[in-house]
Amino acid sequence: MTLRVAIRLLVLTAVVLLVQWTIGLDVRIAGAHPDFLVLLPIAAGMAAGPSEAAIVGFVAGMAADLLVPTPFGLSALAWCLVGFGVGAVTGSLTRQVWWLRPGVALAASAVSVMLYAVLGAVLGQGQFLHLDLLAVVLMVSVPNALLAAPATALVRRALADAETRGRLSSVAPARRW
Amino acid sequence: MAKARRSRRTLTTLVVLVLISVSVITLDESGRAGSLVSGMRSVARDVFSPVRSGVNGIIDPIGHFFAGAVHYGSLQQENQKLQLEIGQLRTQLATSKWSQEQTAQLQRLLALEKLPAVKALPPVLAQVTAYGPSNFTDTVTINKGRNTGVDVGDPVMGSNGLVGRVVEASHSTATVELITDGKSRVGVEYGPKLNQFATVAGQGPGRDLSVQLVSTNTAIHSGEPLVTDGLAGTLFPAGLPVATVSAVRSVTGAADKQVTAEPMADLSGLSYLMVLQWSGSP
Repeated sequence: MTLRVAIRLLVLTAVVLLVQWTIGLDVRIAGAHPDFLVLLPIAAGMAAGPSEAAIVGFVAGMAADLLVPTPFGLSALAWCLVGFGVGAVTGSLTRQVWWLRPGVALAASAVSVMLYAVLGAVLGQGQFLHLDLLAVVLMVSVPNALLAAPATALVRRALADAETRGRLSSVAPARRW
Repeated sequence: MAKARRSRRTLTTLVVLVLISVSVITLDESGRAGSLVSGMRSVARDVFSPVRSGVNGIIDPIGHFFAGAVHYGSLQQENQKLQLEIGQLRTQLATSKWSQEQTAQLQRLLALEKLPAVKALPPVLAQVTAYGPSNFTDTVTINKGRNTGVDVGDPVMGSNGLVGRVVEASHSTATVELITDGKSRVGVEYGPKLNQFATVAGQGPGRDLSVQLVSTNTAIHSGEPLVTDGLAGTLFPAGLPVATVSAVRSVTGAADKQVTAEPMADLSGLSYLMVLQWSGSP
C-alpha cells in the first residue's frame, strides 16, 4: 500500500465517519441505527482482497473506536476479521451474479454485528448479548446491502493507483466478475 | 510459488493486525493505557464535534431548500395550495407543541434544583447534541465538557429524575451513559423509612430497568419510588430520584423477587440535561 493510497483511505474513512455521525445516527428504528463504516472493509474485501480489506477494517475500526465508549480496539479487531473473511470468500468465487455484492454485504454486516457482540462479551461486556440484536442486525445489514455496489466502486478507486492498479486487478475478485 | 508467498503475506497481515488490536484492547481494559486512550478520544471528539456541527449546519438548510422546492412545484391547483396551508399550520402547531414540550422539560429540570440532594451540588445545564454513536451502548452526547466543569463520574439529571452519569468528557463535549444501558448499575434505597437497599440495572434502550437483590421477604410494591442510596463507594450521591417500581413477581424457590422499574425521567426525548458536579464522596 503506497502513501497515496493510505492517504486516500484515511480521507475516505473520515468522510464515511462524518456521514455516519451526521446522517447515520439520526436514522433510528427500535433503538438501532445504520453503521456505514463497517461497509468499508466489506467493500474492500470484494474490491481488493483479504489483505487490503483487513487493513481497511483495522483503520476504520480504530477511527470508530475513537468516538464510541466501548473497549478501544474492539471494532478494529472485529472489522479486520470481517474484511479478511469477505476477501477470502469472494476471492474464491468466479461466477458473476447481480445480487452477489448486496448479498455479501448483507451477510457480512450481520456477521460483523454478531462478532462484535460475542467478542465484547468475551471481553466482559456481557450486556452486548442481551440487546435486541435482531434490530441491530437489520438496521446495519439492510442499508449496507443497498449501498454495497457504490461503496465497492468507491473503495476500489481509493485503493487503486497507478502503481498498484495492475497488482489489484490480478487479485481483485470484483474485476474478474 | 508466487501465490503461496502472497497467501503467506496476507495471513501475516491479518495476524499482525489481530495482535495489535488485542494488545490495544488489553492495554485499554487493564487501565495501563487508560489515560492515553481517553486523551486520544478527547482530542478526536474536540476535533470532530465542530466539524460535525458545521456539516449539520450545511446539510439542514439544503434539506429544507429541496423540501421547499419540491412542495412549491407541486402547488398547481388551488386545492393543493390550501392543503399546503393546512400542512403549514399543522407544522406550526407541531413546532409550537415541540417548543412547549422543550420548555416544560426545562422547567421540570430546573424544578429539580429544589431537591436537597441536588441543591448541594453545583449544576451545569447542558443540551443533548446526539444520541448514542454505538448500537451496543445507550448513551447521549451533550454540549458541555471539561471547560465548564463537567467531568467523568458526574451524575446527570433529566426532567423528573436521574438519567445517568458522565463516562467520557472532552474539552467541550461529554458522553452520558444512560441508566438503561446494559452496563449501568445504580445503588438505590426504598421503603417507608428508606432502609431497604437494591441495585437498579439497565437492560438496554427502551426496556424497563431490573431491580436486583430484593429478597422474597422484603415488602416492595408497584409505584414505589427508588432513590439513590449514596452508600460509601457508590457512583451516585444520595437522594436522587431514579425510578418507580412497575412490576413485582415472586418466583417459587427463588431467593429474590423479580422486580422491574420505569425510569422517572423520560429517556425517549431528551433535550436538556443537568450535570451535577460531584467529587465522588457521599
